[in-house]
Amino acid sequence: MIWIYLLILIALSAAAFLGGRELARRRAIGAKPHSRPGQHGAYALIWVAAPALLVLILASVFSAPLQRQLTAVGTPDAVAALEHFRRDAFFADAHRVGRGEPALQIWERPLAEHLPVEARRMVRIERTLSWGGGIAAILAAILGGLFALTQIKPQTRARNRVEGWIYGALFVCSAIAVLTTLGIIASLAFDSFRFFQKVPILDFLFGTQWSPQIAIRADQVGSSGAFGAVPLFAGTLLIMVIAMCVAAPIGLFSAIYLSEYAGRTTRAVIKPLLEILAGVPTVVYGFFAALTVGPLLRVFFNEIGLFLIGGPLDGLGQYLALVQNQMALTAGAVMGIMLIPFVSSLSDDILNAVPQSLRDGSFAMGATKSETVKRVLLPAALPGIAGALLLAVSRAIGETMIVTMAAGLAANLTFNPLDTVTTVTVQIVTLLTGDQEFNSAKTLSAFGLGLTLFLVTLVLNIIAHRIVQTYREQYD
Amino acid sequence: MKFRIFRSAEDQTGAGPVDPTETPRMGGQVLPEVTPSKARAGAEPRLEDATPVSNATVVDSPPVGPIKIAARDVSVFYEGKQALYDVSLDIPDKTVTALIGPSGCGKSTFLRTMNRMNDTIAGAKVTGRIAMDDEDINDRSIDPVLLRARVGMVFQRPNPFPKSIYENVAYGPKIHGLVSSKAEMDDVVEKALKRAGLWEEVADRLQSSAMGLSGGQQQRLVIARAIAVNPEVILMDEPCSALDPIATARIEELIDELRERFCIVIVTHSMAQAARVSQRTAFFHMGRLVETGDTEDIFQNPRERRTLDYITGRFG
Repeated sequence: MIWIYLLILIALSAAAFLGGRELARRRAIGAKPHSRPGQHGAYALIWVAAPALLVLILASVFSAPLQRQLTAVGTPDAVAALEHFRRDAFFADAHRVGRGEPALQIWERPLAEHLPVEARRMVRIERTLSWGGGIAAILAAILGGLFALTQIKPQTRARNRVEGWIYGALFVCSAIAVLTTLGIIASLAFDSFRFFQKVPILDFLFGTQWSPQIAIRADQVGSSGAFGAVPLFAGTLLIMVIAMCVAAPIGLFSAIYLSEYAGRTTRAVIKPLLEILAGVPTVVYGFFAALTVGPLLRVFFNEIGLFLIGGPLDGLGQYLALVQNQMALTAGAVMGIMLIPFVSSLSDDILNAVPQSLRDGSFAMGATKSETVKRVLLPAALPGIAGALLLAVSRAIGETMIVTMAAGLAANLTFNPLDTVTTVTVQIVTLLTGDQEFNSAKTLSAFGLGLTLFLVTLVLNIIAHRIVQTYREQYD
Repeated sequence: MKFRIFRSAEDQTGAGPVDPTETPRMGGQVLPEVTPSKARAGAEPRLEDATPVSNATVVDSPPVGPIKIAARDVSVFYEGKQALYDVSLDIPDKTVTALIGPSGCGKSTFLRTMNRMNDTIAGAKVTGRIAMDDEDINDRSIDPVLLRARVGMVFQRPNPFPKSIYENVAYGPKIHGLVSSKAEMDDVVEKALKRAGLWEEVADRLQSSAMGLSGGQQQRLVIARAIAVNPEVILMDEPCSALDPIATARIEELIDELRERFCIVIVTHSMAQAARVSQRTAFFHMGRLVETGDTEDIFQNPRERRTLDYITGRFG
């Protein structure tokens, strides 16, 4: 139904535009108009479309509660006497019957008789509301249009008024983005606050024990419910460092190759390929880590371990022989691979932003390509590259899928890359997936973690953008 | 080497009829025969050494000093499009040679062939022979990197590296391993800055960023950077086009001083500048060398109609 109304509105708007333009043209004869006819047309269009859209939006928002109110008014006593959720079920069934579908449950004697009556009444209410909304919208459009028609005069400043409307519409769109972000922060902060009422913030930030399972029975083992986030942040840090050890050099060097050494054809092939690599969903990297890289690394270390057992390094051998699939190294290495295109693409842009005149200057001094890169380009681009790396770091910290699939769940406080560690994001995922009770400290701790993570990446991003910005200003 | 920012009185008299109050300082007044630099160099004009220019379309009077660079039938192609047609030109040592002509006439392209900067442009091809001291610089055995240490270049816009003033000048000596100690480097930097007439302005802030200098200072810094490796030739591609008149005058004085030690080739859009600083002038048009000769002759008695039209401002 709403589509028909929308079509009618579009037709009315088009008519308003054409009519307004024509009318403006006619009324302008003999006078010197302030605005062009097309602007008057646009002004009429806005006055037709905007009020009608507003009415339609209000109607769709308020029709459901209004319908509930109206249904409640004429309810027979037998239905009104039902418990809350039974009454809802009854009306749901009445709704189904009204649409010609069979009822979901069998209602007892007095109710069964009311059912068809109520069904007809509900259909009537619904139809009235729907028609009412549509007619109100069309009325609003007509009223708006009439108002606009009175406004079409040579001295009307239609140009400025249309500009004002456009300004307003654009402002609302950008405000929505900003307000949504603020809303996310507010909801995070609110739930985190509830969490910090149950767990002291200092225990959370500096505790070294993480086991969010809370004992249901008193004698349960290992379910003490400790919320020290240090092991999680240590795990995140470890994986991030491994990832950057992979991504920073490879990404940077490939950027240098692309921007300074590669010929035009090579570049035309490699750059899009790298960008495709950046578009691979992280869950695919997750498979790759869990099913390919993890087992490979495990076999590799196990073989070394078996070789060492019995020798002078027996202890190390014993340890290596028992290394598992899920280790920080796997997750970190694959995350590093994921970040390579990100780093190289950003660094490539930054290196390309270094003016050609600096390269010419260096070459003209008799410097080779690598000398130019090392002594002129990299120092000049260093702030920008540092910014790019920081952005990569904040992506590594926030990355979820790869670590969920490859890093493990045990919150070990360790910096051994062969150990299983867990990260903040993995814990948030495990805490919030599945059926959860939204009042326990266990579930709420996810919000505490989320807020902390958000603040860390926010600070990193701000620093990175600052650096990139100062770098940009240098040559402008 | 004695350092002077301004030309001394001795030079003024040595230069013969140069008297700024009497006549404007046109290039023709400092002819190579009478300049002290020429006398100091002690070299006889080696006219017989220069291969006669055979291109019939070029009106030419032979240069007067020893030939530093001899270009024969040089053509340049950018991705198959020809930008320079069979240019043959002799460039004498210890002289300022100006390349003039309207935009897109190939003068900068020709300049860039002399230190093989066209190599750095993908799709550029150079044919013909360019001999520097009778040695083909496009020869396989010549490493462009080493060639560029002998042929310095100054660009249109000052392009100091975003490093300290000291680091900028020390760049060349460092990459070519010309110095072995910090003290020696300090000495090289100081000398180069003094020769470029910048020392007194920056001596107390050598470690501050070169980006903080004014445009004219930056251009002199770039010249200091170029002469720090003791090149034989300095190529200048419109070195003053981004500068105000005062900074321009300062650079022109500097060019005049540097002429004593280096072979200088300058591309310029300003005919007045060519007349002021150069002893030899070559006029390019549509990728061809039209006329070359002593600056005085070119500006006072051009033999080609197109040259006359250009220098009198009828086109260009």
